[in-house]
Amino acid sequence: MCADLTADLVVLGGGPAGGHAALAASGAGLDVVLVDEGAAPGGQVWRAPGVAVSNHAALGPDHRAGEALRAALTASKVRVLAGHRAWLLQAGFTVHAAAADGAARLQAPALLLAPGTTERVIPFPGWTLPGVMGLAGATALLKGNRMLPGRKVVVAGAGPLLVAVAASILKGGGTVAAVVDLGSMPEWLRGVPAMLGRPDLILRGLGWRALLLRHGVPYLTRHAVLRAEGDNGVASVTVAPVDGDGAFEPGGNARRFEVDALLVGHGLVPASEAARSLGARHLHVPALGGWVPELDGLGRSSIAGLYIAGDGAGVRGAAAAALAGAQAGLAVAHDLGRIDAARHTAEQAPLAARVARAARFGRAMAALVRIRPGLIAAIPPEATICRCEDVTRAEIEAAFDEGARQIGQLKAWTRCGMGPCQGRFCGPTIEALAAQRGIAAEAFGPMVARPPLRPMPIGTLTGDFDPAALTLPPSLPSS
Amino acid sequence: MRIAAGVERGPAVTFSVDGVAVAGHIGETVGAALLAAGWRDLRSGPGGGGRGMFCAIGVCQECVVMADGVVREACRLPVRDGLVITTRRLRDVR
Amino acid sequence: MARATDAAPHGTADVAIVGGGIMGCSVALRLAEAGMRVVVIDRGGIGGGASGVNAGTLSLQIKRLSLMPYAIRAAEHWAEMSARLGADVKFRQSGGLNLAFTEAEEAQLVTDMTARREAGLPISFLDLPAARAREPGLSDHVRRASFCPLDGYSNPSLTGRAFRKALTARGVAMIEHDPVLGIEAGDGGYTLRLQSGNVRARRLVLAAGAWTRASVLQLGVDLPIGARVNQMMVTERAPALMNGVLGHISGLMSLKQSDNGTIIIGGGWQGEGAVGEPGRPVMDNLTNNLRFATLAMPALAPLRIVRTWYGYDGFVPDFLPVVGVLPWLREAYVIACVRGGYTIGPCMGDLLAASILGEEPALPLFDPARVATRVNTPVPA
Repeated sequence: MCADLTADLVVLGGGPAGGHAALAASGAGLDVVLVDEGAAPGGQVWRAPGVAVSNHAALGPDHRAGEALRAALTASKVRVLAGHRAWLLQAGFTVHAAAADGAARLQAPALLLAPGTTERVIPFPGWTLPGVMGLAGATALLKGNRMLPGRKVVVAGAGPLLVAVAASILKGGGTVAAVVDLGSMPEWLRGVPAMLGRPDLILRGLGWRALLLRHGVPYLTRHAVLRAEGDNGVASVTVAPVDGDGAFEPGGNARRFEVDALLVGHGLVPASEAARSLGARHLHVPALGGWVPELDGLGRSSIAGLYIAGDGAGVRGAAAAALAGAQAGLAVAHDLGRIDAARHTAEQAPLAARVARAARFGRAMAALVRIRPGLIAAIPPEATICRCEDVTRAEIEAAFDEGARQIGQLKAWTRCGMGPCQGRFCGPTIEALAAQRGIAAEAFGPMVARPPLRPMPIGTLTGDFDPAALTLPPSLPSS
Repeated sequence: MRIAAGVERGPAVTFSVDGVAVAGHIGETVGAALLAAGWRDLRSGPGGGGRGMFCAIGVCQECVVMADGVVREACRLPVRDGLVITTRRLRDVR
Repeated sequence: MARATDAAPHGTADVAIVGGGIMGCSVALRLAEAGMRVVVIDRGGIGGGASGVNAGTLSLQIKRLSLMPYAIRAAEHWAEMSARLGADVKFRQSGGLNLAFTEAEEAQLVTDMTARREAGLPISFLDLPAARAREPGLSDHVRRASFCPLDGYSNPSLTGRAFRKALTARGVAMIEHDPVLGIEAGDGGYTLRLQSGNVRARRLVLAAGAWTRASVLQLGVDLPIGARVNQMMVTERAPALMNGVLGHISGLMSLKQSDNGTIIIGGGWQGEGAVGEPGRPVMDNLTNNLRFATLAMPALAPLRIVRTWYGYDGFVPDFLPVVGVLPWLREAYVIACVRGGYTIGPCMGDLLAASILGEEPALPLFDPARVATRVNTPVPA
């Protein structure tokens, strides 16, 4: 059961970037197929609720933006292939995707990737306990299922998601024991000039802060999680003061909170594996979240016909992502000869100024989630770094001590990154541990992106087949 | 815990986890319905420790369960009536 | 990165070995034990090429008949590998089955495996119930199987680390992540130009796997080495499903469950790509590799593949090893193209080392001169 589709453009990822790329390209006359793993487009930030929502206003502007995108896609000629997961990309381009009830093979001369991000969580003892969840994961639960991740929670980490998640939990009727922020008030204030271009977001942020105040939620700046504890799941979280580098203050006053969930995140990492699996050139840019594709200003990658847009090309936020998607969608239409240079230039012009303004805001947020070396140094030896394979910091440091200098060696020697998440979660931490030994990210390298892009059941890959019709390649000499 | 205000849940369904009946609503994921039932521990890591939903968007693979005999991410798997879930407690085989 | 200079910051060695895979490391180990000053140079990390990324199956019965004596010796090397290297490479002598699905395959199985038995390999033939007593997950497609108790597997990911540790302990210098930019033959031996400086050595061993042709060309000799792009896949952890290694008489199956529960699927199905870059899948080969595997073991179907990868395997037209003295040169040796090289490598390395030390090797080498031609101008890297 394999559907074969051809199009002018295949867009992978139906979030702000991919959705708007598809709309722009389709508006310029291209036949576009949009593939998304969710049940409906929207991505993470503009996620479509899985449950019926009767009070849309309560869900805020991200929800409304998502509803608008979904309505625009429905009204457009874009063919949306929801519930499909791309697992193999081939040059030229062919996209192999799988759904719960079958597979699809899509072919197009142009491919636009809008993969978004994965969350970076710096390990601490107890972070593998059930009930410890990423901030992005908590957001997904809140938006998609209208479900609280816990009744009483600590929200910890860095960046703008902290207040957003804490406020959503309060609005949903949960209790926030504390917000634990690596950053300080002066750090937040340094971002203000860049934020002035987005008064709507400033107001929203202030509203969230006011809500936290009204509920009397302690907001601990310059603090980090020391450990989470519990038998079958998290039962308590201990936090302590840190300095500007994230190092725990000697003799700092630790505080313990009894909770049933800990929501923690230290920033977002561009999901570069799809683009890297095709061989697109990448650069390591910490301010954009890590490995990002080398792009021109309009989303063109180092591979002809391959375009990348949104946070997957460098974390700048949803507003910038939507604009970058539209830019890249227009560029595809131009490059495929569907719109002439004059029209292309005219339609790009208003986008450029807006994307620059939106990106400024995104960069200010990125500064808040920079990797703090003190927090990396503070990871104790017994803490798990690779969750999939239960590899500890001590095992990773032993491999460094023995001479491992590249991510591939570290992976082979310790199994870190060899599990089903394919190194998405341990990768950024291992890179930071390497950096602490003076190994540059470029020399250390990202984990090689190998298909499948997500774990794929063998039965899905084989499909139903007739054993008698299976043709074998010639054997090598046996005598 | 389900947020009540402003939400109309889909029809109620019952599915089972390791033989225990769990209630959910159409439109929810298995992971979310289990969380609402107070069921956080979905799996064991290779070292034996319990694991639950972590990224909740289908990347980290911490919440995988056997669903009607197939490995699925609980965070992305919609609930349906009669779904049979078993948790995975895999250790080294040798 | 240091600039290349004419100086030799790495000094002068008795032997320079280009390529830190299982061949080069085995030679290095033996030569260092004999007291030679050895330097091993690798473009990547020690054991990071095909030696580190092959499927790890140590099946003797699937090796060529003409290589049986080497395979049997190699099994002895593997049995003592962890002890010799001082690090666990997870060697397991699990025993292995080689399967036949059709009548024609069964006839071939009996012919080929009887010949191996006559060459000294312990082999027995099993019908399906007897085969299932060893591997309960076998499907009804299996008509007959041959069993070899010496078959097994080890963990290639750990092999490089283990050799590295052993070579360090024996004083072998290792220069990693530093490709050889040029090799020149001179009066007193060879000069190898690296990014970090030069290495001088009296003797030269080229053990660079699929890269060997390029290295040899720098000395004005051509060996017609091609590269196969062998595909491997691994599942996530699974409950205990398999006991030993599983092959098929066609040579197109390699299945085993690692100690940690993951199942490694290989069999020499081909991907595409150029040596030095990550290989890429050929869709039909990926699909059919899995289909063929599930024909033997239907319980694989619900498991998820978490990773595919590719290893580059050098070969010459007769598909026999190239191990011995490089013609037209003084004290230059090559060790390459040992099909099933991970299994037989330790034995081949030992034999070549014996020859370098002036001893009579216990088994004959595979003269590179049979495929070598002289080219007028050395080709720069």
